[in-house]
Parts: sequence; structure tokens; C-alpha cells
Amino acid sequence: MPSSTSSFKTYDLKRIHPKHNWVALALLTALFSSVLIAGWEFHLRSGQYAPTLNDTKDLWASRRAIIDEEPDRTVLIGSSRMLFDLDMDVYEREIGDRPLQLATVGTNPGLYLEDLANHAKYSGTVIVGVVPGLFFAPGGPPVKSPKEHLERFKNWSPTQKFSHRVSLIIEKWFAFLNQSDLTLNKLLLSLKLPNRDGVKTAPELPPYFYEVDEERQGGMTEFAANDIALQKRIQQIWIPLFTPPPPPKGQTMAQAKSGFLKSVEATLEKTKINVEKIRAKGGQVIFIRLPSTEKLREMENTFTPRKGFWDRILTGARAPGIHFEDYAELKGFECPEWSHLSREDATEFTKRLMPILKKLLKG
Amino acid sequence: MLFNSLTFIVFFIAVVALHYSVSSWRLQKSILLIASYIFYAAWNPPFVVLLWISTLVDWHVAKALDSEERPKQRNMLLAVSLTANLGLLAYFKYGGFLLDNFIALVQLAGFQYTPAKLDIILPVGISFYTFQTLSYTLDVYSRKAKRCHSFLDYALYVTFFPQLVAGPIVRAVDFLPQCIEPKRATGDQFGWGLYFMTLGLFQKTVLADGLLSSSVDKVFAFKGDAVFILDAWLGLLAFSAQIFFDFSGYSTCAIGAALCLGFVLPDNFRSPYFSIGFSDFWRRWHITLSSWLRDYLYIPLGGNRSGRRRALLNLMITMFLGGLWHGASWTFITWGVLHGSYLVAEHMLRQNYQEVKWTHTTAGRFVLAGITFFLVNIAWVFFRAGDFPAAWMMLASLFDLTGNGDLLLTTLEMTQVIVIVSSLMASHWYLHEKRLEHVVQHMAPWRVTALWTSMVIGLIIMQGGANAFIYFQF
Repeated sequence: MPSSTSSFKTYDLKRIHPKHNWVALALLTALFSSVLIAGWEFHLRSGQYAPTLNDTKDLWASRRAIIDEEPDRTVLIGSSRMLFDLDMDVYEREIGDRPLQLATVGTNPGLYLEDLANHAKYSGTVIVGVVPGLFFAPGGPPVKSPKEHLERFKNWSPTQKFSHRVSLIIEKWFAFLNQSDLTLNKLLLSLKLPNRDGVKTAPELPPYFYEVDEERQGGMTEFAANDIALQKRIQQIWIPLFTPPPPPKGQTMAQAKSGFLKSVEATLEKTKINVEKIRAKGGQVIFIRLPSTEKLREMENTFTPRKGFWDRILTGARAPGIHFEDYAELKGFECPEWSHLSREDATEFTKRLMPILKKLLKG
Repeated sequence: MLFNSLTFIVFFIAVVALHYSVSSWRLQKSILLIASYIFYAAWNPPFVVLLWISTLVDWHVAKALDSEERPKQRNMLLAVSLTANLGLLAYFKYGGFLLDNFIALVQLAGFQYTPAKLDIILPVGISFYTFQTLSYTLDVYSRKAKRCHSFLDYALYVTFFPQLVAGPIVRAVDFLPQCIEPKRATGDQFGWGLYFMTLGLFQKTVLADGLLSSSVDKVFAFKGDAVFILDAWLGLLAFSAQIFFDFSGYSTCAIGAALCLGFVLPDNFRSPYFSIGFSDFWRRWHITLSSWLRDYLYIPLGGNRSGRRRALLNLMITMFLGGLWHGASWTFITWGVLHGSYLVAEHMLRQNYQEVKWTHTTAGRFVLAGITFFLVNIAWVFFRAGDFPAAWMMLASLFDLTGNGDLLLTTLEMTQVIVIVSSLMASHWYLHEKRLEHVVQHMAPWRVTALWTSMVIGLIIMQGGANAFIYFQF
């Protein structure tokens, strides 16, 4: 804080313009930047990348906003399996109603279910994709992600809406705008600098793995569906993600397990309440267990066995459910990286799923 | 609307095109005024009403002050302005804080009182435009400035979008004269304005959000007992750099946008991290706020005209309120009080050790700058920590030599913090007695182009997620 007798002039309005030809410099900068970006775009396209929309919170909010206008629409919630494995075109053809895709990657869908349960007018059908490890996740990224998506929808400002519209236009043109893989931060991560022992790092996520359209119809990229090396790499990414974390600092394994089981009971209770609320408004909730295969399925059976998790959701909420292993026509699909269907298989899977779903919807 | 959003790019292109497509100066100003309201409403439309209230109250108060000679009536008019402006600020910014403290006091007295939680949304930039309109009324009241006779000019002064929500806080005497004659940026001024905007966006999007925020968030959001000393220091240094790049980035963008439209805004930062002492720091950090506090608070309180003790007390009061201006929390007040204490200590030391020779040598200046930077960082702990337990944990971690504490930062994050903070310190040392404009002027054109292109490429590849500027919350 300058003294009141200081002669230092803290507030100077004079502004000097450095003596350069700024118009020429601006044009040269624009030219060089365009050339470099064009080269980067060309390099990416000559590899595996193609323009694709980013699955952003704004895109999600744009879909969520429709519920306020059409509160009887069918809504799909869950995690990436629901996003990849359910073909909305087939659904519409068979059921006659186009669902809204609100599932998000790596998500516990409990908060989305609660949002619909507490919506004053919502009276549609909710189809909940269940991946038990995520459905019962008590915190961390699976809970943070839906919180952030709902927060964005609630506080979605006019400027964010407009930016989203502009993004939809430009992301269809440029592959380098892929935010999952190609931001400066993601590129720096690929340096893979070794860390000190004991440093926890965020789980590595698969590169160029899925894409979405404006309606958030998701699907595995052709690249991921065909590239065996990438599939093997993704399989190795799932293993730590689907393995229960070590107990928090200061807790034994038994204490951590007891805490987790308590949170399972709380989740079941919340699910029951939310399903009842939706039913009371004339809606219905159907749970779906979508395919996983090989080692991942074994891990799920070990850590979240059907009896203790999936079965208890249905009995607790007294809601109908479809488990892919209960129907011959839904079994036998191959997940290239153990957890999701390719686009082609997702379409076929949805075709086979629809008659079963129709019966539940009628009921 | 955020500068670092696609909406702003479209908005700015449209405003510039409209601004230069008409020849009537009055129409140009009207376009800028409407654009400024759109800029503000794009965040939350109903809050434009607050801007209008602030504008209308001070317009009418200043108009009345202009013709009123009776001291009592003049004081009444000033009170109307202060009540309206500070009342709105108190309700929206400090309502929850005041209620929480009232509850704590009542409970301390043994009464149980738990009212409904106030759920007040803080209007973006309210602290900035409140101080700006207040400065106009105070200047007219103290007859330092004449009242403005054009409502359009005055409304544009309050609302001018480049600096509306996060400064620089501009004085009416600096802005209103610019509204008299038509303003049209020359090609060079426009290009230099674009360069400034690129630099500001680069600071915010690439450096503050992209490369520093993850380290800051990891360290300051840590909920355990202690952070490993190296990680704690790097997290704190990362925050020092982040808040500089974030806020300075905003000011730089604002100055650039104004230049493109033909207007001139004052500097808000001048290489503050190589300051030699705290008086020097406050001449370089958030300059328009510190000069506002000096002119409208410290000097009216008596400044240094009533003896040394009173001057130091005035300094402490000013910095206490300066801390409170930043946020409705005791941690912000602690930050302000710490800076007040630093200034008081410096004034006392200067009186006794002004003539000590080593402080004037190059090595001495480095030592003093190092001590200043160290203490500025310690104060940042309270500024960034959400509450006192987090601040104490962080302080304990900073001086925990036992080697305990959790390792939080990856090698990549540590590298980013070290490279960016070192570069920042070196640039502030280099620019200590220089202005950026002079440095750029002496650069070869190809270097300027290369630098500019690198910043543009950095911005495009970083693809920032349009995070709000930290100072929006103040």
C-alpha cells in the first residue's frame, strides 16, 4: 500500500504501442498458426483420428434439458456400457419412443436416478444400466462425475449454451479438437515420466475409444473395435479400475470392507426410495445388466457377485431387471476389450433385447 | 461471459464489426453499452438489474451533488450512494458470512439459534463495479471531478465490458474523457490489442488452468494429516503463479480488448514477484485496487497525516478491509491482516535501517526480493485454503522436516511447476524496471511472430474448458 505522501504514481493511463507493423505481424501469426494446425490435423487424420464430438458436460446438459419439456420421455442412465451397447435407432424402431441418453462414462448412476425421482413432473421410463462396481461406488470419480454433470445442467448459463452450439459445429470439422486424447495436457501425459514411489495417479483411460453424436448415441470407434493391440492395452487398463482399492490410510482391510458394506446398504435404500418416487408419479424403472466377458466378468463375479449386488437391487427396489446371462439370445456376445460391445454387436444386441424389454414395459 | 470461451470470440468479432461499421460516435457508444449488458447477462440475465440500480443511483446522486452546496445535504446524498452500493454488496457478498458469525456469537452466549441457511448467489464482478461507481460519486462529492453530463457515457463507464467483471477498476476521470472524442483504433493499435488478448488468454488458459491448476488442487484439497514438504512448497508456488496468471491474464485481455475498440485501460500488474518489500509489491499487484484503497480509504482515514502510530493503524484497517473485499471469510481477512502486518513491519524497519548499505546492492536486492516473495507465499496459504484447519495443515507441511507427509505430485506436475515458476520469477526480475511494451519494441519482428504463433498454438492445443477466472468470485 503506497503511502499517502508517496510520489509514486500508481495509476498510469499512458499506453505505448511497440513500434512494429502489427497488422503484418498479426497476419503472419495467423498464417503460421493455420499452417501448423493444418499440419497437425493432417498428421492426426493420417493416423487413426477422425473428427468427433466431445462427450462434454454441455452435451449432457443439452439432453437433460429435454426432460423439462418432455417429462414422459424414456431415459437411459448408467455408465459407458449403457452408452455403447444400446442402439437408440433400434430402440425407437421397436418400441416407438426415442430415449434420451444420459448415461456417462465411469459413473455411479444413483445421482441421475435421484434427479429424475425428485423432478416434479418426470413420469417416464428409466432404464438403468448396472455395473455393480460403479453402481455401489461410495465416492470418488464415479460420484464426482454425475455431480458435475448435474451441476452444469442446473447452472447452465446462456454463454455456456452458446459456446456448446459453436463447439458442435467446429468439432465436426477438426479431429485435433478431441479432448479425450489430444489436449496439451493429454499429450504431455504420453511422455510417461516415472513417478516417485507412493504417488497416486489417476487411472489411465483408453485412447480414442468411443465417440458420440449430438444425441449422445455412443459407440466404440472402428479403430478400437479392430485394433487388437489397443484392445489388449484397454484390457490391462480395466484390471486396476475393477479391482477394489486398498484400504484408506489408517484403516484395516476389515474396516474398509465393513464401511463398504454399509454404503452398499445405503445405496440399496436410496435406490428403493428413488424407484418408489418415480413409480408414484406414474413412471417405471427397469434395471439392465449389459455384457462383459472373460477376465473382467470373472473379476466382477469375484468382487461384486450377482447374489449380493444385482439380485439385491431388484428385490430391494421391487423393480424388474434384465441380466444378459439370463437369456440365451443375449449371451455369447464378444466384448473386444472385455467390457463393451462393438457398434455392430450393439445394434444386434439391442435388436435381441427389445422383445424382452417390451414384455417388461407392458407389464 | 468468459474471455476464454467460444461465445466470447463470436461476441467480440460481432462487437468489433458493429463498432467499426457505423460512423456516429454516439451510435458506437450505444452499441458498446448494449454489448456490455449482453456480456454481463450471458452469465445470469436477472443480475443485470443490479448493474442498473448501481448505475442509476450514482448517476442521480452525482447529479444532485453537482448542484447541492449545503454540507448536510451533500452528506445525505453521499450516504444514499454508500448505502445503496455497499448495501447490495453486503447482502449478496457478505450476507451468509455475517449470518454465520452472528449465529456463532449467539451460540457463544449460550443461545441456540439456527435460522434457515441463506442461499445467495454472488453476482459476478459486484465488488469491481461497486468500487468503480463509488469512486465516481466520491470524486464528485469531494469535488475532485465534475459530474458527467451524458448518461450514455456514464452508463458505458460503469458497464464497459472488457473490464466490467474483474477490472482493472477504472476511475471516471480516466474513462469519461475518452468518451468525448470518437475513438477508432489504428491498425497497429488493433494488432497490439490482439497480441495483448492472446497473451492474456495464454496466461489464463495454458499456464493457470492447463499446467498449474492440477498441482494446486491436489495439494490444497488434500484431506490427510500432512503433505510431503516438497509437494507442499511446489503446490504453494504453483498457486502463486496460478493466481498471477489468472488475474493478470484477465487484466491483459481486458486491456487488449479495450485497445481494439480504441480505449485505453490502466495497467493492473507490473512484475510483482520481484518486489523489494511490500510497499513495492502493492504498487505492482492489483494496482487499480491498491490505488483505490489508498485514495478512498487510507487517505480519508487520515493517511500518514496524524502521526506514525495512526498511519500504521490506518494501514492495518485498510488491509483488513482489503482482505474482506476479496472474500467473505476469515481466511481472506487473515490474508489482508498479514499483508497489513508486513507493511507495518516494513515501515518500521525502513525508519531504522534505511541507510544500511547492503540493502542497496544487487545481492541485497535479491535477498529482499526473496524475503518478500517468501512472505507473500505464506500469506497465499490463507487466501487459497478453504478454512483454517486446511491452512494450518498446509503451513505445518511447509515446515515439516521429518520427511513425513503424503507424496501427491507426479513428476510431470513437478516439472511443470518448476519450469513455469522459475520462468515467471526470471521474467519478473528482468521486467522489474522495464515495461513489456519496451521489451517487445526491441524484439526482432520474427521473434514477436514466433512468440505470438507459439501462444496461439498453445491455446488451440490446450483447448481450455472455459474455467471461470479466480477473481470473478470477488
